[in-house]
Amino acid sequence: MEKNEFLQLCRDNSLAGNHKLSARILPVVREYLLDHSTDKLPVIWLETSDSGDNNIAFMNATYPYLNHVFTNMIDLIYSNTFMAAQGSDALLLLEDTVNHFRGRFTLVVEGAVPTKDRGIYNVIARTKNGPITALEAITRLGEAAQHVIAIGTCASFGGASSAAPNVTGSVGVSQVLEREVINVSGCPVNPDWFVGTLAHLLMYGKPELDEYNRPKLFYGFTVHHHCQRRSYFDKKDFAKQLGDIECMFSQGCSGPRTGSDCPYRQWINHVSWPVKVNTPCIGCTNPDFPDGSAPFFSPLPQKSKAEKDDNHKQPPMTEGEV
Amino acid sequence: MSPQKILFSPVTRLSGLLSVELSLDNGIITEADVSSTMFRGFEYIMRNRHITDAVYLTQRICGICSTAHGAVASYLLDQLYDNDISENAQILRNIMFGADFLQNHIRHFYFFGLPDFVIMPNQPPFLNQNCSDCRLDDIDNRRLAGHYIDAIKAAEKSHQILALFGGKAPHQHSFVHGGVAVAPTADKINQALALIHDIRNFVQLYMMPDTELISRCYEDYFHIGETPGRFLSFGLFRFGNKNNQVLWKPGILNGCRLDQPQLDFIQEDISRAWFERSESTEQGEVRPAPRKPGAYSWTKAVLYRGQHYEGGPLARMTINGFYNGGTSTMDRIVARSLETLYITELVEEWLHELEPGEPPINQKKELVQDQALSVTDAMRGPLLHSTRLQGEQIERYDIITPTSWNFSPKDDYGNRGPAETALVGTEISAPEFKFVIPGRIIRSFDPCISCATHLFDHRTNTIDKILY
Ligand code: SF4
Repeated sequence: MEKNEFLQLCRDNSLAGNHKLSARILPVVREYLLDHSTDKLPVIWLETSDSGDNNIAFMNATYPYLNHVFTNMIDLIYSNTFMAAQGSDALLLLEDTVNHFRGRFTLVVEGAVPTKDRGIYNVIARTKNGPITALEAITRLGEAAQHVIAIGTCASFGGASSAAPNVTGSVGVSQVLEREVINVSGCPVNPDWFVGTLAHLLMYGKPELDEYNRPKLFYGFTVHHHCQRRSYFDKKDFAKQLGDIECMFSQGCSGPRTGSDCPYRQWINHVSWPVKVNTPCIGCTNPDFPDGSAPFFSPLPQKSKAEKDDNHKQPPMTEGEV
Repeated sequence: MSPQKILFSPVTRLSGLLSVELSLDNGIITEADVSSTMFRGFEYIMRNRHITDAVYLTQRICGICSTAHGAVASYLLDQLYDNDISENAQILRNIMFGADFLQNHIRHFYFFGLPDFVIMPNQPPFLNQNCSDCRLDDIDNRRLAGHYIDAIKAAEKSHQILALFGGKAPHQHSFVHGGVAVAPTADKINQALALIHDIRNFVQLYMMPDTELISRCYEDYFHIGETPGRFLSFGLFRFGNKNNQVLWKPGILNGCRLDQPQLDFIQEDISRAWFERSESTEQGEVRPAPRKPGAYSWTKAVLYRGQHYEGGPLARMTINGFYNGGTSTMDRIVARSLETLYITELVEEWLHELEPGEPPINQKKELVQDQALSVTDAMRGPLLHSTRLQGEQIERYDIITPTSWNFSPKDDYGNRGPAETALVGTEISAPEFKFVIPGRIIRSFDPCISCATHLFDHRTNTIDKILY
């Protein structure tokens, strides 16, 4: 489908049926869109094949809380989860944002993109001219956006949605776009990583990225590097079972090959993280999550070989320690 | 007015992707096709994995009720390994599960439901809100819209309780088979008590009066979106060393008749879902068929004794005798708020009962069964996991989620699922209400589509024991 056809689809849909009300409201909206958003990022958030967990994670943002993010950082114009508009009124906003903010809006994608059978396994909306698949929407909106952010491991690398045997042919967003995608991975993302990336874009421009296009600020070191239990590891003092206070390497910890700052940032107002509750890190920020972390409770050398041939997807263990 | 079709797509303010096609005749909805437009194939993903991975991997089915999947998978593993669960572990499990319920219900009411009834500020993400039937006076409206911000913090605090004991949220880590891996220390208990105190205040001072006000202003919704009064719950909050005591009792309610649900009577129906049976593989196995004629949803119809049943807070509250109302849109909303209040009180009580000490976990290492089935209620209704193993590897893993019950497409006989039934017969009194009224009805079920699209085949499921 061509770009114009896609827009036409949205437009046809809005013209179908009675839209007197939208016609009255939309000029106001347009004016709003033109007047505002000069110093905030206009954002279109598409939910595709995922569990919605990154949306929930986003709602858990603390300092700034969600309302601060909405007031000071972004104009979340389209979001299946948050927007007040519904049905074709919602699709109109999508079209308007693309028209008015071409090259200036940020596209946030939450979820993997099914590619098999021309993407029919994920339809973001139905119109009278047919379904708009996630694949079509991302391809078209991705071209028109200033920045594209993949939130969560499904959007970044395929994640759980693309786990073997991947019957829907799901892939990460960067695999369907010929442009740079900032990957903010995690299953789910820690809200700090996402809100922090937005803040960086707003205040200082594009953050420095690692080899998987993730902001180094959050993913630059491994969990293992920062872990409070590192001294146990160094003394080979390993836990005998879940619940023990020693190093969780014996219980399947993927910390040595997982880039993230969980040990010192921690989760939900910075209260805890998996190793702190005596369980292993399961490597959820990794390009090969979950297959490369499975079985979750088996020590690293015994983990599944499923993806191990694929060097591109395989983060190395750090510093040759293991 | 001649018959008219309305395509309501996308239905926003829910988890996942949903479209609804409505037929309208003389302003009355005469047909409704609810269509889940996403498929991930989680049962395929579960195959050939180590069974213990289920506690973490199945949580990835749903981000808003992940603890429910973690819980039911843990109960399943407890059976497979014959674990004994200490009382402290049960209390801790229920605290975490309860905290996730609070998060879900508060967010559903304020983030998803509120913009159905309250005029929100004209700024993103509330642009293009259709407020043609918002009835609160200016002062009330402004007050309730302001509560959106308070709800942000109350829900975040609910997840703080979950993360304190579970490591993170969504997809907590410590509620696993054999108990809970975290040590319930005095400082954590104290921190959680302070958090639940704030949450309880919020629910008492904001959520309950707000629910009351909305239910008064929109009283007609006690007669809009009614269902036939067939309710199902698998029960909620387990105790006992074998997960054998259920605090909120399970039940199958048909009119006035209340029974214990039995698995034998559960069937699935794929006549209008995008699946087909494949003859070549294991008998009765289904596979995706996205171009199947006549089908309109990735959700399968699930039936009990050949009939559709509704699950969720209203079902639980009614079955347990906590709520004695109708079956309408507003009853569903009121029952959810009431349940929120009950759960805040329970979580607080459990925190007082929790004994500080060592991590209450004891995982047995040897499997004693090669198949098991386990149930609970998730936030939005009954949830079932069942598995069959080959050694320690999963051969089959079947899941029936709440949304499969509530958002069932039509079955082979053309009978409608609960959400479709609630829509049909509704009057759309003016053209500008065409999304407003159906949106309110649909959202009262708290749909979650990411979890809805799964495979279950009772015919090939070898376990047909009585559940209770
Ligand atoms: S293996 Fe895991 S628990 Fe052990 S030190 Fe490394 S990150 Fe920490």
